[in-house]
Amino acid sequence: MHLTDEQLNEYLDNEIADRTLFDSHLASCGECAARLTALQSLFAELDSLPEVELTHSLASQITLHAASSPQLPRWLTLTATLQAALALIALVLAAPFVMNLLPAIETPSFTEILIQLQSQWLTLFNLITNYQLPNLPTLPPLQIPTLTLSLALAGASLLWLVGNGLLLRRQIK
Amino acid sequence: MTAPTDRDLIVRARRGDGDAFSELVTRYQTNVFNVCYRILHERGEAEDLAQETFMRAYHRLEQFDLEREFGPWVRRVAANLCLNHLESQKVNAPLDEERDADESQRPEKQVEVRERSEQIRGALASLPAHYRVVVELRHYQELSYDEIASELKIPLSDVKSHLFRARKLLAEKLHAPD
Repeated sequence: MHLTDEQLNEYLDNEIADRTLFDSHLASCGECAARLTALQSLFAELDSLPEVELTHSLASQITLHAASSPQLPRWLTLTATLQAALALIALVLAAPFVMNLLPAIETPSFTEILIQLQSQWLTLFNLITNYQLPNLPTLPPLQIPTLTLSLALAGASLLWLVGNGLLLRRQIK
Repeated sequence: MTAPTDRDLIVRARRGDGDAFSELVTRYQTNVFNVCYRILHERGEAEDLAQETFMRAYHRLEQFDLEREFGPWVRRVAANLCLNHLESQKVNAPLDEERDADESQRPEKQVEVRERSEQIRGALASLPAHYRVVVELRHYQELSYDEIASELKIPLSDVKSHLFRARKLLAEKLHAPD
């Protein structure tokens, strides 16, 4: 009976509590010993993989990022939490007094507010619908020669092309 | 004057000392980068993920247990980030073995070693994401099966099956006759 692949893997990974049975089997079984050697050579190859050097240090970039999102000191976090807790307690304590004071304040009902809003909207709507544009002064007819117009259009097109070309060139870079 | 311990640097960094955190990054950046590079097999991505690992570590410094060691912890953070990255990209299909082969500065004597390293990296990169991370945690971070299961939040049986299958695939790739 040979050792399974799983047993050989666990043996090499030191995940087996009692190794004596395995040791004695491996000493007497050439086939299992050969399979173990093959697995060991794979382990050795993986171990032989050299570390690769970084071409540049990450420290400066990370410090910059870290500085842009600073961690709050613990005392500040605790103070803020304490403040929030105190505010909550104060709110709970003050609630009965506030409830007593509320009826004394005269506030319009929801229906009154709606009616007021509707009337304001109607006024505004009437203003918009009845609005008349003032009479604009009539402009004298433009007398542009065809040549000037063509030159102006050509100049504008040239500027547009040059401008877009510059923008695209920057993007390609 | 002795160099400050990692613990001293972490305590100072928690108080907002940027230089202290920078020193921690300098100490572990190569380790962390190599974790990412072994899993991702692409230098640019590995650098980005290494950077993200340190950012994550910085934001978790308050919760970091000072009784633990910083190095193994930050390397595990890196492995987890790489796994999430791969899963988000769904790059489980076999990759081109020459994905990030570095052809520069090759002294003649080292060519063979470098070629073999590239073959190993290529074989690792061809594994499914979970297999890669389990191999990383077992072989390079020397975690036990139980620790890997706890780190990746997967059952122990999955750790074993991923690891053993990964090794089988690696052996087939690396020891296949040319």
